[in-house]
Amino acid sequence: MTVTDHLEAPSRDILPVASARRTWAALGRLVRPHRALAFGALVLLIAATAVGLLVSPLLGHMVDLVVDGRGAGSMTLPAISLAVVAVGVGVLNALGTSTGSRLGEVLLSRLREAFVERAVELPLGQLERAGSGDLSSRITNDVNKIGEALRYAVPEFTRSSLMIALTLVGLGVLDWRFMLAAAVAVPLQVWTARWYVRRSMPLYAKHRTIIGDQQHQLLNTIGGAATVRALRITDDHERQVERRSRANAELGITEILLQTRFFNRLNLAEVISLTSVLLTGFWLVRVDAVSVGAATAAALYFHALLGPITSVLFLFDEVQMATVSLARLVGVVELDTSAPRPVAKAAGTPAAVTVKAVTHSYEPGHLVLRDVDLELAAGSRTALVGASGAGKTTLAKLVAGVHEPTEGSISITGADEALRQVVLITQEVHVFAGPLSDDLRLARPGASDEELVAALTKVGAVDWALALPDGLSTNVGEDGLQLTAAQAQQVALARLILIDPPVAILDEATAEAGSAGARILEQAAGAALEGRTALVVAHRLTQAATADQIVVLDHGCVVESGTHDALVSAGGRYSELWSAWSGTRT
Amino acid sequence: MATGRSVLLGSIRGQWRQVAVAAVLFTGYQVGETLVPLVIGAVIDRGVATGDSRAIAGWLGVLLAVFVMLSYSYLYGARACRRSLVNAEHDLRMQLTRRVLDHQGGAETGRLPGSLTSIATSDAERISYVNGSVAHGISAVIGLLVAAVALLRISLPLGLLVLLGTPLLLLLIHKLGHPLQQRADAEQERAAHASGIAADLISGLRVLIGIGAQPAAVDRYRATSQESLQARLRATRANAWYDGSILIVNGIFLAVVALIGGRLAATGSISIGELIAAVGLAQFLVDPLHLLGVVNAEFAQGRASAGRVASVLAAAPAVGSGNAVLPTPLRGSLRIRGLTHDTLDGFDLDVEAGEILGVVASDPADSIALLRCLAREVEPGAGWVSLDGVKLTDLRPADVRAAILVANHGAALFEGTVRDNVTAAGSLDLERVLRSSSADEVADGLHAGLDTPITERGQTLSGGQRQRIALARAFAADRQILVLHEPTTAVDTVTEARIAAGIRSLRAGMTTVVVTTSPALLAAADRVAVVEAGAVAASGTHAELIRDHEAYRATVLA
Repeated sequence: MTVTDHLEAPSRDILPVASARRTWAALGRLVRPHRALAFGALVLLIAATAVGLLVSPLLGHMVDLVVDGRGAGSMTLPAISLAVVAVGVGVLNALGTSTGSRLGEVLLSRLREAFVERAVELPLGQLERAGSGDLSSRITNDVNKIGEALRYAVPEFTRSSLMIALTLVGLGVLDWRFMLAAAVAVPLQVWTARWYVRRSMPLYAKHRTIIGDQQHQLLNTIGGAATVRALRITDDHERQVERRSRANAELGITEILLQTRFFNRLNLAEVISLTSVLLTGFWLVRVDAVSVGAATAAALYFHALLGPITSVLFLFDEVQMATVSLARLVGVVELDTSAPRPVAKAAGTPAAVTVKAVTHSYEPGHLVLRDVDLELAAGSRTALVGASGAGKTTLAKLVAGVHEPTEGSISITGADEALRQVVLITQEVHVFAGPLSDDLRLARPGASDEELVAALTKVGAVDWALALPDGLSTNVGEDGLQLTAAQAQQVALARLILIDPPVAILDEATAEAGSAGARILEQAAGAALEGRTALVVAHRLTQAATADQIVVLDHGCVVESGTHDALVSAGGRYSELWSAWSGTRT
Repeated sequence: MATGRSVLLGSIRGQWRQVAVAAVLFTGYQVGETLVPLVIGAVIDRGVATGDSRAIAGWLGVLLAVFVMLSYSYLYGARACRRSLVNAEHDLRMQLTRRVLDHQGGAETGRLPGSLTSIATSDAERISYVNGSVAHGISAVIGLLVAAVALLRISLPLGLLVLLGTPLLLLLIHKLGHPLQQRADAEQERAAHASGIAADLISGLRVLIGIGAQPAAVDRYRATSQESLQARLRATRANAWYDGSILIVNGIFLAVVALIGGRLAATGSISIGELIAAVGLAQFLVDPLHLLGVVNAEFAQGRASAGRVASVLAAAPAVGSGNAVLPTPLRGSLRIRGLTHDTLDGFDLDVEAGEILGVVASDPADSIALLRCLAREVEPGAGWVSLDGVKLTDLRPADVRAAILVANHGAALFEGTVRDNVTAAGSLDLERVLRSSSADEVADGLHAGLDTPITERGQTLSGGQRQRIALARAFAADRQILVLHEPTTAVDTVTEARIAAGIRSLRAGMTTVVVTTSPALLAAADRVAVVEAGAVAASGTHAELIRDHEAYRATVLA
């Protein structure tokens, strides 16, 4: 298996993509409340284009005036008209474009908000299977792609299309035969455009993958440079970067080969239709059907059309790409998610938790937990100990209500049913980008600064937090100040205090910090758990030693439980671990 | 020493043949585009107005020839231009990669991986655009000259009007547009913020779900999105009026040219064809002048990017290099004397060949300072480390790393399968390595075992899984001296005990230093050195120290 093989593994795209029909339907629903805006933009842009089309006949009229031998003075009126037309075109275009953009931007903002609303309601199982990469690429890359199309391709495409349509009408007004002559190369143009889109779309898709691969590779190699050097695998990594970068360069060449061939064919179409318009003018003037001025206007009309024709055909694929991105957004927005979990604010009276005969499996036949009974007394602290794969995390998630147990029951008593009762903090830390105070207020919207400081004080973080350059208003997380793993975990514990739930679960929440940081965190965790019913998945036995109850899990079963002293003197699994840990056995 | 200027010139010089070809062909294309309205004018003047079929056939032939020339000039010119771009970009990217990976280090100092990556992608790309700008710039200047000659031949006053008027026009447009553009850029930046916030919320989604803060997060995102929308709307409105004002100014200029040209034609000074050509040229001239403006802007951007690239290429190395050779055979003893760096202050330590030494520091900064000196990531302020009697500073850093592997706590995993990662630096008996590091359990728990791909730099794995794969990799590298830094912090106690036994059996006969406060690992060491206040304060076995050393007990068992 090569490196690229698994990058394209289907596991990356578990979230759905909407069909073309559903995408258009969703777009229709989005536009409906803004019909007036859409209509206004269209009318303004048509008016702008129509007024712009007066330029060529005005110039043609000036030619006629010269041919008719009218004096120099006769030029003033058409010239003034040209200036008036220019002002009209500018104003109408500005109004039309800004109205159209307003529509586009409003729709895009509605769409991305709907996306985020739906994304946070995704069932955790689905999220874990898809990984956050797909979601986050949709909300960034796809939204950006649509935004760019909205800002550049779509207005240009719209203006050019209107220009072509109205110019053809203008040509028809001069003489219907001009219109026919101008359209003589349409079959060639349509064929060229189809030929191009068929090749460019897969090329763009490939480009996106290759750029992504290159980006991944560079982040990998540069982010891990110290490790790469330490392992002396610099040549390997240089080769990998070289390969990705080469692929990117080669694709750049492939693209220009295709594009230049495309333009070459369009040039052919241009010269054919331009010749045919000029010949038609020649013939019509000869048979006295039109004036030389009209023939001039037709030629100028058509010459002015060469740009828009190229734009429409060239931008067609970009517009199509945007609809692909649109389908990826709509795919998530239209997902059926289960009813949102109750997430009301909690009240801090400790509650008792009873786990009764719980058996759980993620896949049928593969039991992770077997017949687990567990009693967490109100306000007590229980430590879960066991090897990886013993089922500690699964048990923690079940108690937290992240998953429903396959068999058995978990009940929480003593707290108000309607309130959120259990908060789970894992070793996965995330500091949300923005001011530190905003991050904390995610846990308790509307909390006062005093409440935030109190929570930080409790977890021992207040000293460094207030010493930040802008105190609690300091931007942290991505793009801001990078907090250490221990600081980030203190923030997570401060959030726990702010939520103030009756039951709290820590799943190795102090593991990532390294031993020295872990001690500070353990103190912080102790403070955060005060007055709550707590379940702690412990990786340091010192955490377990101070718990009211220790539960040892092995292969999904509870093998021992009791206090530290009782288990040590019982001489079972726990006492074995403890003696290895405390150095009483050599 | 690389400077922005030398980087920029180097990028052009390295591709000068392609750039020259592109410049010549783009000129052909520009001239062709200039000729089209002229030839249309001639067709009408000589053919349509006179009804002369031979004349029209002749001039249509000329039109065809012009199209063939401009079309093929563009075809081959654009290809040469693109080649010069992608090659220059690739060369820059590889130079940067080699500099970052250089064993003497120093390029990453003070730079985040994301910004270095963006230098190796966006900045490299922007510099390469300068190659295209050179080709386009040359062609635009020549195109302008051709148009100027054509116009002046038609009529001196009309030609002067257009030639002097067009630059003035562009200046006016620039003046009009500048404040608008500036405002638009500022708004754009604010608008881009929303996408960053959304991505951030999504990547912290599991945390949000854990604490039930989804509604608060959605509210916050909606507010950001709406703010961004307002900023974006201001930007698009500004842009729309800017574009509109360009249309107005251009249109009025055209009206003036038509008025003067029309009067000249009415008085017979120029022909109808010449009038049409002049109007056509007046419209056309805006293009090459606009192109020059774009070229100018691209040059400015390229210069800024080249400055950033140069600062990486010219970054001072973090450590020096020597000419001594590694002793053979390597025994694997270390002697550290008077080492002073960061919090380390006159640090002395001997590590015997073949021993397993535990190092415990109550202050993590001491551990990190020691590890960085051993890894040759920094030059110590004073003192030295010697390997079998040869000072590390006398060796090339790459040679030091052939003998000593410092496996850091935060070591990165790479894209590839679990197997690719474990065997990246060596493939000592894979089965033993996996067993000793308990990475066999990791592989068993993954859907495709050792062939499971690691994505997002291991972020999809748990901390404990990552640590064990990194440990297996360090074992597999099979270095005479292995320095492990907190290898088991995210590993459960049962597995940790297995790993402690694994270190003893796998590393038998080779030197291993374990910098940790984990009692399970320290219990497995032959000897433990206790570091306090930047120097070794005590040493002995784990059991002895637990028994006799109060501070040790506090550090390890607290």
